[in-house]
Amino acid sequence: MLSVESISKQFDRNRPPAVNNVSFAVEKGRICGLLGHNGAGKSTALGVVLGMVYPDSGEVTIGGVAVQKEREKAIAKVGAIFEAPAFYDYLSGWKNLQVFTSYSGGVSRSMMKEMVEWVGLTDRIHDRISKYSHGMRQRLALAQALLPHPELLILDEPTDGLDPEGIVEFREQILELRDRLGLTVLLSSHLLSEVEQVCDEVVILQKGKKVYDGGVQNFGGDEITFFIEARNPVDLERSWEKLGGRKLGDEFLISRDREPSECLSRLIGDGVKVCRFTQQENSLESLYLQVSSREIGEDAG
Amino acid sequence: MNLFFRQLGWELYRLFARRRTYIGFGIFLLVEIVFYLIWTRGGGARQLERMIQNVAGGLDEYLSGLTIAFLMVAFTMLMLGVIFVSLVAGDILAKESEDGNLRLLLVRPVSRFRLLLLKFLSCQIYTTALFLFVAFSSLVVGCLGQGWGGGMLVWAPDLPKVSLFEWWEGMSRYFFAILGFSIVYMPVIGIAFLLGCFRIKPAAATIVTIALIIADRILGKMSMEAFDPYREYFITSRMDAWYLLLYQNIPWARFFEQSAWLLGIGLTCFVLGWLVFERRDIKS
Repeated sequence: MLSVESISKQFDRNRPPAVNNVSFAVEKGRICGLLGHNGAGKSTALGVVLGMVYPDSGEVTIGGVAVQKEREKAIAKVGAIFEAPAFYDYLSGWKNLQVFTSYSGGVSRSMMKEMVEWVGLTDRIHDRISKYSHGMRQRLALAQALLPHPELLILDEPTDGLDPEGIVEFREQILELRDRLGLTVLLSSHLLSEVEQVCDEVVILQKGKKVYDGGVQNFGGDEITFFIEARNPVDLERSWEKLGGRKLGDEFLISRDREPSECLSRLIGDGVKVCRFTQQENSLESLYLQVSSREIGEDAG
Repeated sequence: MNLFFRQLGWELYRLFARRRTYIGFGIFLLVEIVFYLIWTRGGGARQLERMIQNVAGGLDEYLSGLTIAFLMVAFTMLMLGVIFVSLVAGDILAKESEDGNLRLLLVRPVSRFRLLLLKFLSCQIYTTALFLFVAFSSLVVGCLGQGWGGGMLVWAPDLPKVSLFEWWEGMSRYFFAILGFSIVYMPVIGIAFLLGCFRIKPAAATIVTIALIIADRILGKMSMEAFDPYREYFITSRMDAWYLLLYQNIPWARFFEQSAWLLGIGLTCFVLGWLVFERRDIKS
């Protein structure tokens, strides 16, 4: 459904590229997370995907149509939500929907009503946007993105500023859209838990470069992760390094070749007073930290 | 085509749904009332009476609501109009870009050219609406003071001679000239619009346009011989072309020549704005 091929963009010659040779693809009906720190290049990548930012090189295709060559045709298949959706505050929610959908050729009243009902804004849709809470704006943003009938939904930090209930509701709506309508979703976020719970796959960007592209669960990797507590943490770290492992945040990583029982007995043998030794499931957080630290390490090297 | 007009309709709806759009309408109404009060109490009417006595012979007939309405428009519109037209034209794109609305519009299957054209046309329609409002409200204020009917005397410092019309002919000339005036305003819209196509604050686009037009007016009106050969190149000098539609015998060739210049400048600004906007990266 979406194919991003070797896109690069440098805004300023004196600064590194905002996006550097990034490629990834999202299959129809999949939800892909675009992860990265602030300034990692997520917004630029989304800008290129939407044809709002011109890449220095590379190409994006949506449903087989090249965005850089036939933008209007490609974008006709897309709905998008941006962080802090900017509606016309002086108009009602309903009028905003009419304005935005008019640029897609217009949408029938019944379809709009149905969408407004689905996002739960029926009672307030004729109020001015200036009276809307952030959560209501976000729901309206979802409604406008889904009108008329997108095949690809692009969400840029959609849950920023939402309360916990709002985040859960939004997440459920996205999953429902995927399951019910078979929508393809590209979700940009810096919230690991959000991506982990919603996405089938993830692309991690770091300083404009892609550092990971793959599944969110059971993504494997060449290391296993442990959570270890000891009464003498300094000895623990020293002993772990002797074993060939490394520490990342609160987690201890070591090659998959090593047996957990062997590791534990070596630690005890080294005089480490182990209180807790648990093998962690590979979480997105650990993956994120792994690829981030690798990148930082390469830069330092 | 139908879709284009529907989109233009929504563009205009948005423009006229904003309170600030009406600032110009309100200010002009206020200016007209103040003008009329000062004019009638400050001896302006007596001065005009003397002039009418000299050129037209009959006093009562030509000191009409229509004559006063024309004077109000002539003395207020050129510079005051620039402020409100620049405010709307400089704001229409730059403000949406600043607020982020533009990104939501551009994720729709609409070309940047079409989007700009819709906004540019909206500005032109706003200008025409504002001018017609000023023409109509000036006429109402004039008629409230002087009553309905009479002749129309057209005189302004920039006119080489006085024109005299009967009531209905004067009325049609008056509104026709105002329409022409709103069209020769296109360079003002064009400059403000062009500036708004850059990554610029809306206020900056408005202020720079106003400053340029005022500077143009000052230089164009400089009463020094050295400026004479260049006077025709000043935009505001050419914008006085609307007076031509109020000459007893309209010099059409001169009017079309001046209008073509002004429309050319306005459209060139639009095309330049489009080229700038088309190449711009739209980011948050």
